[in-house]
Amino acid sequence: MSDRHSIEAENLEAGYNADVIVKSVSCSFAEGSFTGIIGPNGSGKTTLLKAFSRVIPSSGILELDGKAVRDYTPAELGMALGFVPQDEGRPFPYTVLQVVLMARYARTSRFSALTPVDYDRCCRALDETGIAHLKDRSIRALSGGEWQRVLIARALAQDTRVLLLDEPTSHLDLSHQTDILSLMRRLAGSGSTIIGIFHDLNLAALFCDRLIMIQDGRLVADDTPARVLTPEKIRAVYGADVAVSCHPATGRIFLMPLASGNGSSEQVSSLHILVISGGGSGADLLHFLSGRGFRLSAGILAATDTDYLAAKALEIPCIAVMPFSQIPAHSLEKLKTALHHADRIIFSGHPVGPGNLPVLLALRDADPARIIIHLPADRDFNSYDFIKGAAAAALRELCAAGAECTGSFDGILGLLRPVSPHDRNLRSEP
Amino acid sequence: MTRTVPLLICLTAAAVLTVVLCTFIGPAGFGFVSTAPGAADIVGGIRLPRVLSAFFVGAGLAVAGAAMQALFRNPMADPYILGTSSGGALGASLAIVFLGGFFVPLFAWVGAVVAILIVWSIAGRRGVVAVETLLLTGIAVSFFFSAIVSFLIAIAGQNVHQILFWLMGGFWNASPADAILSACILLPAGALLFFMGRDLNALSLGEETAAHLGIDAARARWVVLGGSTLLVAGAVSIAGSIGFIGLVTPHVVRMLLGPDNRVVIPAAILVGGILLVLSDTLARTFFSDLPVGIITAFIGAPFFIWLIYQRGSVT
Repeated sequence: MSDRHSIEAENLEAGYNADVIVKSVSCSFAEGSFTGIIGPNGSGKTTLLKAFSRVIPSSGILELDGKAVRDYTPAELGMALGFVPQDEGRPFPYTVLQVVLMARYARTSRFSALTPVDYDRCCRALDETGIAHLKDRSIRALSGGEWQRVLIARALAQDTRVLLLDEPTSHLDLSHQTDILSLMRRLAGSGSTIIGIFHDLNLAALFCDRLIMIQDGRLVADDTPARVLTPEKIRAVYGADVAVSCHPATGRIFLMPLASGNGSSEQVSSLHILVISGGGSGADLLHFLSGRGFRLSAGILAATDTDYLAAKALEIPCIAVMPFSQIPAHSLEKLKTALHHADRIIFSGHPVGPGNLPVLLALRDADPARIIIHLPADRDFNSYDFIKGAAAAALRELCAAGAECTGSFDGILGLLRPVSPHDRNLRSEP
Repeated sequence: MTRTVPLLICLTAAAVLTVVLCTFIGPAGFGFVSTAPGAADIVGGIRLPRVLSAFFVGAGLAVAGAAMQALFRNPMADPYILGTSSGGALGASLAIVFLGGFFVPLFAWVGAVVAILIVWSIAGRRGVVAVETLLLTGIAVSFFFSAIVSFLIAIAGQNVHQILFWLMGGFWNASPADAILSACILLPAGALLFFMGRDLNALSLGEETAAHLGIDAARARWVVLGGSTLLVAGAVSIAGSIGFIGLVTPHVVRMLLGPDNRVVIPAAILVGGILLVLSDTLARTFFSDLPVGIITAFIGAPFFIWLIYQRGSVT
């Protein structure tokens, strides 16, 4: 990536007739960068991209390679900037090669024929997009994904320094998505400026150096994927809840949509649930419950625990402690407060040893009617006991005092019904 | 691609052959070498101008049809789509009803051009014109002008026959001046559209696409519309509104040679010319000079249906 900017926009406004869709956008794109534009449907992403390519008139400053875009002749612009639309009508049965050859019109006079150089460039573009075998096929006989690759090949054959892509992979299958976006990465690596609109935020995070987030035609975030794709921003812009984590294989951030509350959960979603887990036993449960709209918190978790990462990703508060060390007294105090305030406490079966026995013992002070023990069907209390029977005894004691025990998530859901007068009040709330 | 050039050569030969043969066919007889009295007058003074006029008019309509289909991204578009034929019909009817039939060609030409200008100015009022707006405005203006023509027919009295014949289109009065005039329109306008072949290709995928490919889409559109208007208004003023040649010919050409407009335009000139000369020869030889518009529609419509039936879709 260099410091030279190929596109620079300042206070850009664009729209159709009197309808201003892109409002006062300022941003610039460095040579050799791959930028993703994201935002909900109708936020003005395509309008912004088309304002860059001048097919939608704009006001404000818009420069391409240091020269005002409005000063380019149409042919100059066709040699400087390529555009891949979402889709394109196919009223006539051109062959694939004929369509891709149109990329070279800007470079040759209308009074002379296209040269072998033009043909070679177009055939290379067909190779790069993996559609060389479709060269003589009628475009009307192509699938949506094949046609999308033809449009990409045509833009490549224009040999432009800037490439604008409007959802370039919306019709592609998994492997072609990766192929095309890897190709775009390579192009960026060799100095091209790539700007693409993405709906798949994970793909955008995986391939882009930088993301621009648009909402209502305004630029609301412009930074690295990790800084743009935060749960807060996504909730504010998309109105959707997601869990963000770091993908272990790529080191890139990774989003997971969380289903918002469904039907039966509405009556209990105001319950505050404390999940006591460890050693990865509670991650699935946290995802499961958070998808059903409960207010959750987690107990004491070591910072290396999978449960800790799950809680972080889901933005569930927990009490973090150093791994492989004694639980500090103040953390235990916090847990006791949490136990006191929770409407329900779920103990998710996990190994208990001398280190975390105090947690289990603290549970004895809580109201047993509020405690649910999640014990998977193939396990018994003894299998979690690493302290010569003390843990198993404590758990049995809880059951005897009235704590419910269940083997499945659905069983837990069933037990999360209101029991006390206090809970009934909660249920009657809208 | 490989068969394009041989096919174009064959079409050129066929066009020359058609013009020559049809000049020597007619109800009055006269073979290739005739010394009968009056033969030279009939062949040279009547048939040749008529055959040439039919050729150039047919060629012009076909080219304009191909250009309109590309511009409007619609294989169903025809050269009259922007109101040219109803404008021409209105001009001609006015001349027939109020001027006793004088200046019909001039009025038809003015009517056709005025129709287009009205459509352009209405559709282009807001600066940026979408082709869809142009299309719908053209249809609306066409219907309005047709209503006025119908009104004129209703009040025309004994002139009804003349208006109806004009509406069906024909070459009864084709003079050497008509032949020269139609050639003078076709050659420059045809050349213009030929050199717009690439722009037409790009435009047929959409105006935005054309712009992204480095084509001056707005200018190309006006050049194509201007050239087509000249061709169609000229054709209407010489021969009335002859249907189907402009719609069917581009399909025939695309079937033979593919949709590349750099090939379609020159081929449409040849095929359109051939088809209209043959139709007119049929009309004047075997159907006692029936309006040729009847023949083109009578043959063209079933042929078009056969095309659709054969291919399952249109080219």
